[in-house]
This record gives sequence, C-alpha cells and structure tokens, in this order.
Amino acid sequence: MKEDLLDIVCCPLDKHDLELDATEREDGEIVTGTLTCTECGETYPIEDGIPNLLPPDMRDEAPA
Amino acid sequence: MTEDRSEADEADSDESAGKPGLAAQRDVEQVYQPAEDSKLLADAVVERVGEGDRALDVGTGSGYVAARLREAGADAVGADLNPHACRQAAEAGMPVVRADLTGAFRDRAFDVVTFNPPYLPTEAEQEWDDWMERALSGGENGRAAIDPFLDDVSRVLTPDGAAYLLVSSLTDPDAVRERATENGLASEEVASESHPFETLLVMRFALDD
Repeated sequence: MKEDLLDIVCCPLDKHDLELDATEREDGEIVTGTLTCTECGETYPIEDGIPNLLPPDMRDEAPA
Repeated sequence: MTEDRSEADEADSDESAGKPGLAAQRDVEQVYQPAEDSKLLADAVVERVGEGDRALDVGTGSGYVAARLREAGADAVGADLNPHACRQAAEAGMPVVRADLTGAFRDRAFDVVTFNPPYLPTEAEQEWDDWMERALSGGENGRAAIDPFLDDVSRVLTPDGAAYLLVSSLTDPDAVRERATENGLASEEVASESHPFETLLVMRFALDD
C-alpha cells in the first residue's frame, strides 16, 4: 500500500486515525507492517502490501 | 449468473469430500469475475465521475469496476472481504484494502462509492460455504450485504457524493429504495438491462438535503 492510503482509512471499530509502523518497504510502498488505532490501540496487519482492516472478530472467519 | 452458480456448486462438492478442491489452489476460481452486472455498473458510473474524484469500489472482486473508475480519471480504491480478491485486484495494480463494506473508511472520504453486491436470494443451509458462494449469495432475501451497505454508506460520502449499487429484480428493488430512504438517501434508477430471468438495475443514491 501507498502511505497516502492513510488519508481515507480508519479503525473499523471506532473510526479513529491509524498510525503506520512499516517494517518492509519497496518502491515507495509499504509491503509489511502494522496499522494501530490511535484511540483503542487495536492493531491491523499489512501483508503483501494489503492492509487487513477487518474488525478482529471477522479476521479469522474464512470459508474453507 | 446461472453458469457461475454451477461452478460454485462444483467447488462446494469438492470441498465437502474432505479434501481441498482445486478451487482452493487458485485465487481466480475463488473470485467473482466481471460479468454483465459488473459492466452495467461500470458503464453507468464512468459517465458520471469527474477527474480526480475519490472513489471506493466495495466488493471489488477482480478489481474490474475500480479499474474502469480509474480509467475515467477517478482516484479509485478497492475493498473486499475475500483475501483472494484482494490479491487479484492488487496484482492488477489497484490500491486495495481488505475490509467489510465501508466500515474501514473515513467519514466523507469519497465522491463516488460503487458496489456490485452478492444479491442472489439463497436458502440458509446453502450459504457461506466458500468464497465464490459468498460473492454471489445475498442471503434469504438477497439483501444480506445490501442492507448493511446502505446503513453505513452515507457516512463515507462527501456532501455532493453519490453511491451506485447494482441490484436485480430478484432483490426487491422497492425494499432497497425503502432502506435507502430510512438512511437519508434519495434514490434514482440510472441504468437497467433485461436478462432472461431477471432485470439488472443500477441505482444512484445521494444524500437528501
């Protein structure tokens, strides 16, 4: 993901801002990292360049 | 849609045999690919987007509608619940977020929101077995994804923004309009196309003054 995506996303639980912690960047994009809610502290993973902003209770719910 | 359904059914039977179906090995078979409905939605919306509009394509799937929005000059982002869809849209070069409907997006962030939802009415026991089923099934009344979408979409629209939703005559468009009205949205039909078993409609929703 590009960093300017932060202008439009928010915490799905309380709609507050997210803080980026990038652990791997490539060509100006964040490949791996986490997004942390500045209000509730919930963290959301960024994997393969895709932020997973599903609410935590939906994160593991996946069809076979 | 009929052909897609039979593919989904085959994938189901593979998996109920207790081993991963071929579908599990290939993202493409777990992601709804552009069909008449995607094209009808994209055609209606690209006429109505402006250069630099901020756009969100909910349930982006392969990323087709988002890509059409981008070609039309919009700054488009895709969102999907399905990780396979997210990967496919990202590989096609779309900015993508794994998210439930509009839930992970800021208030008043978008001039345009599009959604080609799962809308086929489906018996409860047939539901949610795999990602393709999830992309097609709209629950017993066909509106299991449409209703929560309408409940939140006004939050993410700019005051002059609009949402475009693909619905089918199978989905009871009057019930969809009613839900929109309850959420302070004015609705208008902007495109339609007749098919043998259903009529597809594109509805435009704007914030009521």
